[in-house]
Amino acid sequence: MMQESTTNSPFRLAAWKWAAMIILIFVFIAGWIVPLKPGIIKVTPDRAVAGEMMVVDVIGYNSFYLTDTTKLRGWLRLSGDTVIQAHHIQAWDDRNLSASFYIPSVFPVRQEAYPLTLVLDHGAEGTSILPNAIFITPASVQDTAEMKLWFRDKIEHVHEKAGVQYPFRNILAETIRNTYFHVPMWFCMIILFGVSAWYSLQYYRNADIDFDRKSVAFIKVGLVFGLLGMVTGMLWAKNTWNAYWSWDVKQNMSAISLLIYAALMVMRSSVEDDMQKARLTAGYNMFAFVLLIPLLFIIPRMTDSLHPGNGGNPALGGEDLDNTMRMVFYPAVVGFILLGLWISQLVYRTDKLKGNL
Amino acid sequence: MSVKSILAFLLLMIFQTAQAEGESTPDFIRSIGKIYVVAGVCLIILITLFIYMIRLDRKISRIEKRQKNE
Repeated sequence: MMQESTTNSPFRLAAWKWAAMIILIFVFIAGWIVPLKPGIIKVTPDRAVAGEMMVVDVIGYNSFYLTDTTKLRGWLRLSGDTVIQAHHIQAWDDRNLSASFYIPSVFPVRQEAYPLTLVLDHGAEGTSILPNAIFITPASVQDTAEMKLWFRDKIEHVHEKAGVQYPFRNILAETIRNTYFHVPMWFCMIILFGVSAWYSLQYYRNADIDFDRKSVAFIKVGLVFGLLGMVTGMLWAKNTWNAYWSWDVKQNMSAISLLIYAALMVMRSSVEDDMQKARLTAGYNMFAFVLLIPLLFIIPRMTDSLHPGNGGNPALGGEDLDNTMRMVFYPAVVGFILLGLWISQLVYRTDKLKGNL
Repeated sequence: MSVKSILAFLLLMIFQTAQAEGESTPDFIRSIGKIYVVAGVCLIILITLFIYMIRLDRKISRIEKRQKNE
């Protein structure tokens, strides 16, 4: 870049580098300014006894309850179509409302406690849901005639808010935006390590020291991106899983794969002879990349994990990523990969200059 | 480089725990729908990449200096 700028205009740069910058600027802007859909943060009281009238106070997030109060409807859902509708809903301001429900004294199923999901629908603002909002303890006197109350109402004609928004998820809330920043770090790391393994293979084919230089540059930058993925993931985990490190299988396996590559760099610095260093690196590097596949893609899927996309959890294609998020997520992945390739290229060019002197 | 980014992370951690102890209301980083977690993640990425670029810049300057001396 420096050499080009001294002879040519400073704006002469390969098209894919421009693409990297423009895509990342788009990702940072869209990732930050697009609002979330309305959600429900808190419901009080969160406990009640069946067979009584109850009034719940609801605190919303990004909600505009006052825009048209006649369009507000609310339900408590036990499961599927087993719901009761709110008798009356009173909006106090855009983020606070009260809803009254009569909880029937009998339930279609027998349990020790009944977790009910609160569903709110607003004609203009769309639907918001809080799972397990209220826990109901069974009534002492049960009136079987009230059973039909559960099947009288249905959740129908719900609305979707118009415009571009990211979904609201409980616990995640605004941190759903981290999908555009934390996840592409790992995508980028895997691509950089893959390119590095490919150059290692090239070194085996024709023992040119330049291929070794290339593969090492990509490992160096890949390690930086892997470390970024780990640190950003830990900060995210602290605020959603409540611990920086939960010894989750995904966390452990990604730490192991980073350690394998860190060990490669340590091994390199301990070998004196350049040719031997290059040969050892090439072998180890291809082996390390092959190991990444079981460590990052197979083992975490075989057991339970807190991390989305693994055992017991929905995969990335499911509920975690809707079509609006895809419009930012895919550019984010491409942008960060291009940035990683760019930085690796600079590192390689620097190392080459250093080696030639 | 890694030492510096770990330091930056530790600073953020200290900031977070200090905030949590300072007030009884929900801690700062989790207020407003946890938006400060996103801010923290973006800052970690940007600061780390900038530090890496600065290091690379210095390395190139050293090579240029050596080239001039020869």
